[in-house]
Amino acid sequence: MEIYEMTASETAEGIKAGRFSAVEAARCGLSRIAKFDGEVNACVTVTEEHAIATARRVDGMIARGEDPGPLAGVPYIAKDNFCTKGIRTTCSSRILENWIPTYNASAINFMNGAGAVLIAKSNLDEFAMGSSTENSIIGPTKNPRDLGRVPGGSSGGSAASVAAGYVPLALGSDTGGSVRQPAAFCGIQGMKPSYGEVSRFGIVAYASALDQVSPLARTVGDLAMALNVIARPDPNDTTCDAYDRPDFAASLAMRDLRGKRIGVFAGFEAEQMDAELYGALTKAAALCEAAGATVEPIDLPIAVKYGVATYYVTALADASSKLGCFDGIRYGTHIDGPTLTDMYANTRTASFSEEVRRRIILGTCLLTEGFYQNYYGPALKVRTKMAMEFEELFSRIDAYLLPTSPSMPYPMGTKETDPTRLYLGDIFTVPISLGGLPGINICMGFTPDDLPLSVQLVGPRYGDASLLGIAGVIERVVGRPGAAAPRKLEEVR
Amino acid sequence: MADSPLSSKNSAAAKRPVVIGLEVHIQLNTKTKLFCPCSTDYIGRTPNTNVCPICLAVPGTLPLLNDLAVALGSRMGLGLHCEIQNYSNFHRKNYFYPDLSKAYQITQYGLTIAVGGYIDIEPEGRPKRVRVHHLHLEEDAGKLVHPTADGRLTGAAYSLVDYNRGGVPLSEIVSEPDMSSPAEARDYVIRLRQLARYLDVSDGEMESGSLRVDANISLSNPDGSLGTRVEIKNMNSLKSLERALEYEISRQNKVLDSGGRIVQETRLWDDAEEVTRSMRSKETASDYRYYPEMDLAPIVITDEQIEDFKRAMPELPWEKRERFAREFGLSGEEVAILTEQKELARYYEETIAAGAPPARAANWVRMEVLRVLNETGTSISDFPLGPSVLAELVKKVESKELSSTIAKDILDTLSREDITLDEAVKRSGASAVRLTGCLLDEVVDRICAANPGVVETIKSGRDKKGGKMKFLQGLVMKETRGQADPSEAAGSLSKKLGA
Repeated sequence: MEIYEMTASETAEGIKAGRFSAVEAARCGLSRIAKFDGEVNACVTVTEEHAIATARRVDGMIARGEDPGPLAGVPYIAKDNFCTKGIRTTCSSRILENWIPTYNASAINFMNGAGAVLIAKSNLDEFAMGSSTENSIIGPTKNPRDLGRVPGGSSGGSAASVAAGYVPLALGSDTGGSVRQPAAFCGIQGMKPSYGEVSRFGIVAYASALDQVSPLARTVGDLAMALNVIARPDPNDTTCDAYDRPDFAASLAMRDLRGKRIGVFAGFEAEQMDAELYGALTKAAALCEAAGATVEPIDLPIAVKYGVATYYVTALADASSKLGCFDGIRYGTHIDGPTLTDMYANTRTASFSEEVRRRIILGTCLLTEGFYQNYYGPALKVRTKMAMEFEELFSRIDAYLLPTSPSMPYPMGTKETDPTRLYLGDIFTVPISLGGLPGINICMGFTPDDLPLSVQLVGPRYGDASLLGIAGVIERVVGRPGAAAPRKLEEVR
Repeated sequence: MADSPLSSKNSAAAKRPVVIGLEVHIQLNTKTKLFCPCSTDYIGRTPNTNVCPICLAVPGTLPLLNDLAVALGSRMGLGLHCEIQNYSNFHRKNYFYPDLSKAYQITQYGLTIAVGGYIDIEPEGRPKRVRVHHLHLEEDAGKLVHPTADGRLTGAAYSLVDYNRGGVPLSEIVSEPDMSSPAEARDYVIRLRQLARYLDVSDGEMESGSLRVDANISLSNPDGSLGTRVEIKNMNSLKSLERALEYEISRQNKVLDSGGRIVQETRLWDDAEEVTRSMRSKETASDYRYYPEMDLAPIVITDEQIEDFKRAMPELPWEKRERFAREFGLSGEEVAILTEQKELARYYEETIAAGAPPARAANWVRMEVLRVLNETGTSISDFPLGPSVLAELVKKVESKELSSTIAKDILDTLSREDITLDEAVKRSGASAVRLTGCLLDEVVDRICAANPGVVETIKSGRDKKGGKMKFLQGLVMKETRGQADPSEAAGSLSKKLGA
C-alpha cells in the first residue's frame, strides 16, 4: 500500500513504528500535489518548506523516543480561510491576496501540537460564500472523481485534496454545508461538529453564529481522530464550549445498531432530488435496519420549508458586518480615492467578487429598518421554531438520516449564474447548521461513472461522539467506499 | 449684546419648559481593554502601540470579554440604584469610519447589564430625583489625527488613525429626560462623577475624556408636549456643559420665537466661540443596523454574584454625608466639603481616629488642608502630612500648647519639608513649655514698662474702645511668639492696669 492510500491513523502508526518517516509522508503528499494539482487546482499555496521542516521535527522526536502526538507526521491541508502564521492566507479573495497572518488559528495550533504536518492551503469559494469552489482568485477547483464537475464548496479544495490522495485529512469550515456538501460531491467523509465543539479562533469569519471548523477524511475513524485533536475548550473563543469532551474515537467500538432509533427524512417529493441520491438514502435506511436499528420515516416540515430562507437571512446579515473590517486601511488590498467614501468603494468594489458583494449588500439591506422587521426578526423566530422541531425530533430518535445535497455533482460552470438555484442546493445542510447540530456526510458508494452517492447523518447537539459511532457502523457495513481512489484521476496523467 | 442669543434669556418665550436628558460615558478603571489584553493607558502613548490583532480587527480574531469591566459596570449600576440583569448580551453597531477597526462597535443594545435607577441631585439646595434609564457596556473607538495646524479635518490632505484608544471599556449611563435646567444637568454630572470615583469605577476626568457627556435638549410646546430634541456633543468640562445648554436654550427659543422649527440634529459645542454648530442630521437607530454579536457568549450574572457585588459596595456618598452629620455633628456645608472626595473624607476620619476632636478637625481639614492642597496643586492622596500628624497638631492647639497661628505655620512647613512634627515645632520657636502664670506676668511687666504712654492712657480711663489694651495684648503675644494663651495675656494685662 502506498503512503497516500493510507488513512490518517495508518499513516501515524507507520511513522511511529518507523516503517516510513514523516518527511517521506510529507514528500508523498507534495508529489501528489505536484502531479495532479495543475489539473485539480485544489491548492492556493503549497507550504513545502514549512512541511519538510515540521516533518523533520516529528522525525527527530521519534528518533529521540518522544511522542509527537496522535497525528504524528500525518500530512494535512487546511482551507485557506484558516490563519496560518507566516503563511499567506487569502480566503481566495483579491482583498487578502498577499496577506500573511501573524498568528495561527487555534485548530491549526492543535493539529500542529498533535504532530500533524501542514503541506498546503486549499481553495474555497471566496470567503466561503458558495457551494462549488468556482468563485476564487486562483480559479475553480475540479472534482477529482470527474474533472468536468465541481467538487462542491465552499471547502471544495480540502475535499478534492483528500479525494485525490494529497492528504488523508483536511480541515474545512462549514457554515451551511460547506464541508458536508463537498465531501458528498468528492465521495469522502466530512463532519460538521456541533456548534461550540471546536474553536473558531483564527477562522476568517463568514457568519459567526454558524461557522464551525470541520474535518474531512476518507474514513469516519479519521474524522473521530481529528475531532479528538481539535475539539477542545479554547480561551480564545468564548463561544467554544468549555465542557470536557469524550473520547470521540472510543465510540467507534460500536459493533451494530441494536437499540438505536434512527429517523429517515420523509418529507420530500422524489422529483426534488436526483434519483440516485434517493436510492442512497433508502439503501442507508435499509442497512441501518439490518444492523439492528429501528427505522422510522419522519418529516421535518419547518426545517426543510424555511431552512434556506432563514439561513440566508441570518448568515448574510452576519456576514455583512463581519466583512466590514476589510476597509483597505490596516491590511489587505488598498485602492485610494479622493474621499474616504471613494477609498472604501474603490477598495471593496475591486477586491470582492460579485457574489461576495451580492451577499454583503443583501445582508446590509436585511438589517436596515423595515427589512429587519420583515426578514431578520421573523428569521430569528423561525430559527427558534426549528430548534423546537429538532428538540422534539431527538427526543424520539438517536440519529436522523437525510440527503446531504439534493443533487449529484454538477458540471462546472452550470449553476453559478442562478444564485437562487445554487442556494436551494443547501436545503438539507442549512437546517442542521441553524440547529447547531452535528452532521456527517457518509459516502455510500459510486455510480458506474464513479460519481459519489452520499447521505447525511445528523445527531442531537453535542451528541457528536455517539453520532460518529453510528456513522462508523454504517461505513463498515457499506464497505468503506470513501477510501476508494478516484478511478479517472490516474488516467489524466 | 442685542443680537446675542444669550440676551433672549429673559424674554417671555423663554418660559417654555426645558427638557434635558444626558448620556454620560465613563471610562472604566481596568488595566486592559474590554475585549483584548491591551493596556488602556492610551494618553500620551506613541500611536498604535497599545494594539493587538483583536483590537485591530485582524481577520479571524474574536473578542474576549474583560470580567472586571462587567464587575465595574454592575457596581456602578448598583450605585445608581439600578437592577442588575441576570442575562444581557452585546450587539454590533455597524458603521464605516476609520477609527472603528471592525466597522462595528461592540455595544449593549436592548438587553443591558443594568436598568432603571436614579440619582438624587440637589442643585442650589433644591433636591430632585433624576431617573436613570439604563447602563450599558461598550468599547471606545480609536482616534483620527489630522495633520493640520489646528488639528481639524478641514484642509487636511490625509488623516492618520491611532487605535490605542480603540477597545477601551466604557460604561454609558443614559438618564431619563428629567432635568429642566443647565444647573440640574451640571449637578447630575457632578453626583454621577462623585459616585464613579467613590466606587473606584472611573477617574471621571472630563478634561482627559474619561467622562464624556452628550446632552439631549428640547423645549416643550405650549400644550405641554415635548419639542424636537437636539443632541449636543463635545463638551469637555462642567462649565462648557452648562454654557452649551444655556446657549442651546436661547438658540431654540429664538428660532421658535421667530416662527421657525427646531431641526432634529447633532450639534457640536465650540468652546472657543461659545456656540453650538450643526454637525449632521441625527442618525436614527436603524442606520446602525444593530445585530447581535455572535462572537461573544452572553453575559450571565447570577443572583449570587449580584449579592457579592452588593456586599462589596463601599459606603456611598449620600450614606457618608448622612453619617458624618450624625456622628460628628457637622453642618450640611461642612459635610458636603469633607465628603466631596472619598480620600478627603477618609483623611478626616483618620484624623479623628487619631484623637482630634471632630469639630476642630473639620475646620482644619476644610480650611487649612484644602488651602495647602489648592496652593500646591496636590491631591489629598499625595499630601505629605499624614492624618495622625494633623491630629497631633490639632490636639496641641486644643490643649493650648500651640497657638493656631503657629500651628498653621507648622502645617505649611510640614507640607513642604520632610521633617517631623517635633522638629517643626522646635524650628517655629515655640517651646514645648507654655508661657503662663508668673512667666507671662514678667513679659506683661516688661511690655508695660516699655510703653509708659499707652499704659498712662489706659490707666486714666481714656481707652474707651479698648484699642490701646488690644495693642498691648498684641505686643505680649508677639513677644511670647504665640506661646501665651491670648485670654490669659488679656487677663494679666487687665489685672496689672486695673482696667
